[in-house]
Amino acid sequence: MQTLAVPLVAYQILAAVLFTIGVVGVLVRRSALIIFMSVELMLNAVNLSFVAFSRQHGSMDGHIFVFFVMAVAAAEVAIGLAILVAIFRKKETANVDEVHLLKG
Amino acid sequence: MALEPILFVFFATVAILSALGVIFHRNPVHCALLLVAVLLSLSGLFVLLNAQFIAALQVIVYAGAIMVLFLFVLMLLNFRGESSVLSPGAAKGFGFLFALLVLVELLWTALSPNGGEGGGMAPPATLPADFGSPAAIGRILYTTWLYPFEITSILLLVAVIGAVVLAKRKFA
Repeated sequence: MQTLAVPLVAYQILAAVLFTIGVVGVLVRRSALIIFMSVELMLNAVNLSFVAFSRQHGSMDGHIFVFFVMAVAAAEVAIGLAILVAIFRKKETANVDEVHLLKG
Repeated sequence: MALEPILFVFFATVAILSALGVIFHRNPVHCALLLVAVLLSLSGLFVLLNAQFIAALQVIVYAGAIMVLFLFVLMLLNFRGESSVLSPGAAKGFGFLFALLVLVELLWTALSPNGGEGGGMAPPATLPADFGSPAAIGRILYTTWLYPFEITSILLLVAVIGAVVLAKRKFA
């Protein structure tokens, strides 16, 4: 199928909505784990945008960017969850409001 | 005959509803499973956009590996449910306000008729036969994008070492 049955702008609007939901999650939730999940949501919204533009322009560079975003997301999750485990061992909480070790 | 718009609406609805569930559900395990639903519906959308290899990667890497990591930590640490789901008071209000501003700005950009450059968006390009296939992606990944690819491998190595060091360390 060569024609785009769903216009590009529909994919962009969906990506915008998903990104905004991720922003809401980061700003209003207090559990560090949910904040990580919201960051994943935002990364995926951007991936959708990349793939949609890639389809529109018939160039596969967008797919390569998605590939790298996935690699960075994997690294981010591994490090982030390791930090979370370390914080949980020390403070017995994952609530970001209660973690203020660097505050004098 | 128009199967594609129906599938788009279906996957988009599932993605948005599950995403709302991720950020508003109280139980973290349910949040993680709803996030898997978002990732799987996005992988369906990738197939609609002729990105079969990326769709497979999405299922294997995201819905497989990354979500298993999330659930593993979730079960390991035994989080109690948060006393209140959302931040208290002004933080919540400002959070929704700024998110609304982000949404307005993104929609403004997506819906602006001239695409910012005054030229308008070109019509959808005709695709080569192997668009989105693993062979085509591998070809440009190992030629044009070889150096970024190698640097990514170093990034992953650093992440592995960092995760081990961080998780092993005994804090006083």
